Amino acid sequence: MKKLNVILSSLIILFSLTAYSQSNDKLVSSKTHIKFFSHTPAEDIEANNYTSVSTLNKETGEVVFSVPMQGFDFKKALMQKHYNSDKYLDTKTFPKAKLKATITNFSEFDLSKDGSYEAVVEGELTIHGVTKAIKEKGTLTIKDNMVSAQSTFNVTLADYGVEFVKGKPSSNIAKTVEVTVLAEY
Amino acid sequence: MKTKNKKILRIIAILMLAGFVIGGSIMLYLFNMPHRDVQSAKADYVLTSNQIVSEYLSDMDAANQKYLSSDGESKILEISGIINNISEDFNGQTVLLLKGNEDKAGVSATLISNTSISASSLKIGDSVKLKGVIRSGASFDEDLELYENVILDKCDISII
Repeated sequence: MKKLNVILSSLIILFSLTAYSQSNDKLVSSKTHIKFFSHTPAEDIEANNYTSVSTLNKETGEVVFSVPMQGFDFKKALMQKHYNSDKYLDTKTFPKAKLKATITNFSEFDLSKDGSYEAVVEGELTIHGVTKAIKEKGTLTIKDNMVSAQSTFNVTLADYGVEFVKGKPSSNIAKTVEVTVLAEY
Repeated sequence: MKTKNKKILRIIAILMLAGFVIGGSIMLYLFNMPHRDVQSAKADYVLTSNQIVSEYLSDMDAANQKYLSSDGESKILEISGIINNISEDFNGQTVLLLKGNEDKAGVSATLISNTSISASSLKIGDSVKLKGVIRSGASFDEDLELYENVILDKCDISII
């Protein structure tokens, strides 16, 4: 079984190498979109970030996202200020968030032809300088030799030491926000 | 005596009303405060893409301290450099990478929609000067195994 896996993954590597004609095992994407969405009875808040960099290792299924935290754009300027402030995400002290994970069922994927796979992503998420283990589901799509990844998951801000204790922001920002991640490699 | 009381009451009522109106408008202003207009603001620093990258690679903490602001309204930079790559992000905005051939990292600049010089007229190898707000600095990321660029947003091209 182990031998088969080795053969399979070597084949995948070989295929991907020829398909992408790249010497490196890592696909790099700077075409990304990270959205966060917060819903409370008071208001819905959405922020978008198109400035992240991501890599996907074609051999191991390791996926990395580096997210410039000040790259989130909010509709309202005051929200953006609250979000960045040292009372909240403190983006001056922690300018980047990071996802470092592995697609655990990656060996089942065939990147050499068009297809769509449900990926199990397991690893670590670092926000606000706090690292937590995560396990989420995502989708990996291959179309015309282009690999794209997508995932939507929830983040409980208090887990990362991000909390507004009082005032308007504490009632208007959800304790758990929905994060959507998209990358085209 | 009665008229005097009435007068005082009226004054109090007027003062309270004025207070509500002023307080309310301040709240409303804060809530709907417009985003900072990066392009009408003066640049805080004028640099080349090589200079800002070197500054970040030699001491990231010092550079973050210098260029990032805690409310997210970080420094406005005017950067000149050579276009190394032109791409489009998921928001449909043109992204220019300013980077010298010898440099480890460059400046990734997301343009505004209506730039003063049409983005479609730009090509790789062109020398440009642009102004925008810094979002993050350059550094080597060991998980990505590559150098990350300085991220500049809300950019307009000032001189070609």
